[in-house]
Parts: sequence; structure tokens; C-alpha cells
Amino acid sequence: MTDIANVVIQGVLLGGLFAIYALGLSLVFGVLRIVNIAHGDVLVLVAYVALVICDSFSISPFLALLALIPLALLGGFAFQVGVFERVDRRDPLVPMLVAFGFAVVIQNGLLLLFGTNPRKLDAGAIEQLGVSPFPGINVSVLAVMILVIAIVLIAIFQAILYRSRFGIRVRAVSDSEENARLIGVDITATFRKAFMMVMLTVAVGAVLMGIKTNFDPFSGASRLLIAFEVVVIGGLGNLWGTLAAGIVIGLAQMVGASIDVSYQTLAGHLVFLVILLIRPQGLFPKVVG
Amino acid sequence: MTLRRLETTRRSFLAGGAGLAAGALAGFPMPALAKNRPVRVGIALPRTGPLALFAEHLPFVMDQVERATKYTVNVGGSDRLVELVIKDTQSSPNRASQVALELILDEGVDVILASGTPETTNPVSDQCELNGMPCLTTEAPLEPYFLGRKGDPAVGFEWTNHFYFSGTQAGGAILEIFGQVETNGVVGALWPNDSDGNTFAQIYPPVLAERGMTLSDPGRFDMPLASYSAAVAKFKADGVEIVHGIIPPPEFTTFYNEAIQQNFIPKVLYAGKTSAFPSALETFGSRAHRLVTEVPWGPQFPYTSPITGQTAAEVVEEYHAASGRQWNSQLGFKLAMFEVLFAGLARIEDLDDPQSVQKAISSISDDTVVGRVDFSKGPFPNTAVTPIAGGQWLEGTDFPLRLAITENTFAPDVAIEAKTLPMLSA
Repeated sequence: MTDIANVVIQGVLLGGLFAIYALGLSLVFGVLRIVNIAHGDVLVLVAYVALVICDSFSISPFLALLALIPLALLGGFAFQVGVFERVDRRDPLVPMLVAFGFAVVIQNGLLLLFGTNPRKLDAGAIEQLGVSPFPGINVSVLAVMILVIAIVLIAIFQAILYRSRFGIRVRAVSDSEENARLIGVDITATFRKAFMMVMLTVAVGAVLMGIKTNFDPFSGASRLLIAFEVVVIGGLGNLWGTLAAGIVIGLAQMVGASIDVSYQTLAGHLVFLVILLIRPQGLFPKVVG
Repeated sequence: MTLRRLETTRRSFLAGGAGLAAGALAGFPMPALAKNRPVRVGIALPRTGPLALFAEHLPFVMDQVERATKYTVNVGGSDRLVELVIKDTQSSPNRASQVALELILDEGVDVILASGTPETTNPVSDQCELNGMPCLTTEAPLEPYFLGRKGDPAVGFEWTNHFYFSGTQAGGAILEIFGQVETNGVVGALWPNDSDGNTFAQIYPPVLAERGMTLSDPGRFDMPLASYSAAVAKFKADGVEIVHGIIPPPEFTTFYNEAIQQNFIPKVLYAGKTSAFPSALETFGSRAHRLVTEVPWGPQFPYTSPITGQTAAEVVEEYHAASGRQWNSQLGFKLAMFEVLFAGLARIEDLDDPQSVQKAISSISDDTVVGRVDFSKGPFPNTAVTPIAGGQWLEGTDFPLRLAITENTFAPDVAIEAKTLPMLSA
């Protein structure tokens, strides 16, 4: 019994990490309708920036977030103004190819600067801290923190999207750019703000990823794969769906691993395929109204 | 019209060029150049990537060798300079193969050195064997080096030479350490889905059974693994008291962090590829105390370097003073690689004949800082086996950790300092 409970708890906690990977992509892909192939690599790039900040000032990665978030927002703004606003978005293939190009540039740039050594952000004792809520079950404090941060971020963004005037504008642009422009929505400004929201999640996600797992210049692809699966399973445009889907994949991995550790990664992909077959619109498609 | 004019220009240019080249050759003092040309040595090492730990001592060792020899060696009766061409394999077998080919074809080297796990030594050696290039490698256990290259023990390889400890002996030393601690004999395996993990999964289970130990094996996993909690849960359920892992430092960090969170501290914890490197263990503070490891070389080894004249302990001391970092066994083998190279170069009769270079290296029977290297004796042709001891990390004074030798079955020259102690539970 404790075995099953343990698998479930570890799976849910792992799901928090996956939801964090996917949150930014869920906003870009699900709401702004841009297929951002570079999402995983941007995540890794920001993690490297966090590493440089931590190393040069000898501070904790959590403290580094104070500097990292403004940097990421600025970077995202510059990228939106300098690149995405200049490409023709009528054909969805064009921004996708641009993002793909940036992914290659980021990977090789990081390779040039940092080499292929796997890196990790060092958060100190919290990485090993565990609590035991029930006998026989131990829970990582860091993993709980990641899950809580994921829930808080999603709650905030969901509220912004569905309860604020800005959210209404974003959803209008998402539904139809032409009609949104007709009723006087400033498309450019809406996109810029939305993209900065994305970069906020990327900064937080990069730091948590860097503390929890290793990263190297080429680990973006595997992060992107998981993020994509989570967004697609969750349903486009629904952020709570993203969290639920993260947990579904986390659970699948842990259940697979409890049979044989070699099935861990495979089990996550299999569940993705099965859900795609029986429910192609995702578990929780976009909320109407 | 245009075409014909272009054609004439190209031909006249070619003719002129050939004449120019011939003139340059004639004017050059060729025989003198050939007599004193330097010895070119290619070195392929993983300087970046997951295996970069294997290259960190190279600059220090190169300085040591320069101080002692000025990179001058007497080859075939005349003093020659030794030129090193160093290439980075980026920890990738494909890249290693490619840089070996570059060294052979573009750099015109006389001999190639390579070091640091079978992922480096095997592709470089294979490339040298194909191209008839004398090759000297180390820091990959003999079995994955020789059998991993599909070598036939009766025939061997013609151009490649290798010295290091034997994996069978290292595995034996670790088993001896396991036996020193009172446990229930349940061994948890962390063997990933790579060549080393699969090899251990094949060889170890019967050996463990022979010693009355039982195995708890969660299966071959692909690295990097997002979470080791399933493996930890299985170890706890099976009552594992000994853990035998073959995982690199970043993976070990993920595993051990989760094990500590889950309150799982085995009595004996061994992680090949990680627990030999104090720098990879220091992040765990007192949690790293009493981890066990094989010891291919260390300050306790009673050998002297033929190049610098220093004992192993003196080499380690100077490294500490020069770098401020703690030694690991790679230091000794980097130095030994140059010792074997220089011993080989001194025996060469004709530097321009690769056969003569290969013969010189393969006939070595010399003492080095890691013990005697004798290519005629090894378990396979053109290989030499070096001693392997076992040890345990204890709290140190100069550095956070210090190594105590606890096992010497396969390194009888090395004195035992202590008995292996069980790990401290939380």
C-alpha cells in the first residue's frame, strides 16, 4: 500500500517539474499560436545565465532569480520586437522556422562558451531535505516547492487570462487576429506583454530545472519534447490542463519505472500516444467563454 | 571564346606553379631537416564534456615533463624535440575517431596517445590500427578496451598498446571491500543502459551468487534519468545494504540526493566513475564519508617516476601546492602516459619507420609511477596490467576528504591502512 502511495506521490511531484517546463510553451503555443521550437533551448540558455550569475556573485540560485527575471523579460522583449514582429506570421511555418534557427544558434553558442560539460545549479542543503508526512513515505522538500510554484504561477496566469481586460485582449488575438484588430485591440502591444509573461515562467522554470536536474547545451530538445507532450495532452490554451497533463506524464513515468527503471522514459511517451489517439483535442480543451 | 581563354590561363598557371614548387624544394636543405626533425606526438583527450575530469591534470603533468626533459629525447642517436598536438574528443566516440584521423592525415604525427574511458581509447585505437599508426592508450580497464574492440586474445592488435588496471581485478577488489563490512548481503544495482552497465549486468550476478549475495536490480535505465525514486523505493523494499553503481557524477548527484531524501543510506555505497573523484563527492559534505572506491593509483603507491624522479606521494604533494586541488588517480596515469612514451621514444631505431616506432613501444618493460608497465606480459597481446587497490573516503584535514587504503589483493605492494567501515546512517 505504501508502495503504491509512494509511486503516486513521486509521480505527482515529478509532474510539477514537467508542468513548469511546459507552462511557457502552453502560453506561446496554446494562446499566442506560435510553435516555439526553441522553447527548450531558451530554457537551457536562461539556466546558463543563472549559472553565470550564481558563480560570479556566489549567491543562491533563488537569489539569482531577482536579477534573472528582469534580464529574461528584457531578452524576451528584445526578441519579440527584433525578430517575431518582423517575420510574416500569416504562414505559421515562418515563425516556426525562425525559432528552429534560433534553437541551433543557442545550442552552438552555448557549446562554444561553456563546452559540453553537464552543469547543475547548487542550491545547497535544500536539495537533500526530505520530510516524512506518513510512515514509509518520504517527500523531497524541493519537489514540493516546485509543485507549489507551478500551481501558484498557473493560478496567477489563469486569472490574468480569464479575469482581466488584458486577458480578454490576449484571448481575442488568439481567436482571430483580424477581428481583434477590427474592434481596436493593439495587437503588437498585446503580443509584447504576453511574451514577457512567457519569459517570466521561463526564468523561474530554468532555475528550478537547473537545481533539480543536470543540463548541457543539447538538453533543450528533451525538455522541449516533454513540454510539447504536456501542452498537447493538457489541451491548447488551458493552463490547469497543463498542470494536470504534467502530473499524468510524471505518474506514467513513475509507474513505468516501478515495473522496471528502463521503462521510465518510455512509459511517459506511450501515455502521450495513447491520449493523442483517443482524445486528440487534449484532456482539457480551451475553456469556452 | 571565353571558355578557351579560361582554359589556357588555368594550364599556364598550373605549369608555373609546378615550376615554383620544384624550385622551392630544390633550394631547401632537405637531408639536414630530416635528420633533426622533431618527434610529433598526437594526443586525443576528452577536454570537455562529461569525461572532462580525465583531462584536468594534463597542463600540470606537461609542465612537470617539460621541467625534467625540456621535451628533448634522444631518438636513434640524435637529440630531438618532442612536439605535442593536443585535440579534444568532446567526450564523444565519433569525435574521438575523427580527431584521430585528423592527427594521422593532417598533422603527420609519429605516434598517438589517448586516454580516458573506452569511449576515447577504443575509437582512437581502431583508427590507428586501420591506418598503421603506433598508438599508446590508458585509463580504460583492459577488458572493455580489448574485448570492446572485438580483439582476439590469440592474435591481438598490431599497432595499438594499452596499459591500465583490469576490470576483473577491480571488480574483485570491490567485492573484497563488500565482504569487509557486516551486511545482509543484498546488493542493489545501478547499472545504466550503456556498454559498462550492460557488461556488469552480464558478469556480476553469477559472481555475487557465488559469494552468497543476493541482487536487487531495478533494470537498465537510460541516462539522464529525471528521477531515481523508483530505484530507491525498490532498494528499500528489498532491504538493500550494499549499492553497486556504475554512473557518472551528475547522475550520482541526482541518485544520492533522492536516496538521502528518502532516508535510504546503505551500509556500503560504491559508484564506479564517480566515487574515485573527491571533487565529485565534496558537495555531499559529511554524507560523502565512508563511500568506497577502487584505487588505481594514489600517494600510498610505493613507486617512483622515471622522468621526474619523484615518488607518488611527492607528485601528489606538488600537485596540491601547484593547483590547490585534490589529487585523483588520473594524475598518476597522465604522468605514466608520458613516462611510457619517453621510454618508448628512447628505444626507437628509425623514427621515419612506423614499424620501428611500434616495436619500440611494445617492447617496453619499465617502472613507472603507477607500477611496472610490461607489454609482453599483459593478459592480452600489447597490453600491460597495473595494480589496483581498494579504499574508503574519510574526513580529511587539508581537503574535505582523504582516502584510506583498505584492500590490496591485486596491489600487494600497497600497504593497507584501515578496515572498511559501514556508512553512517542518518
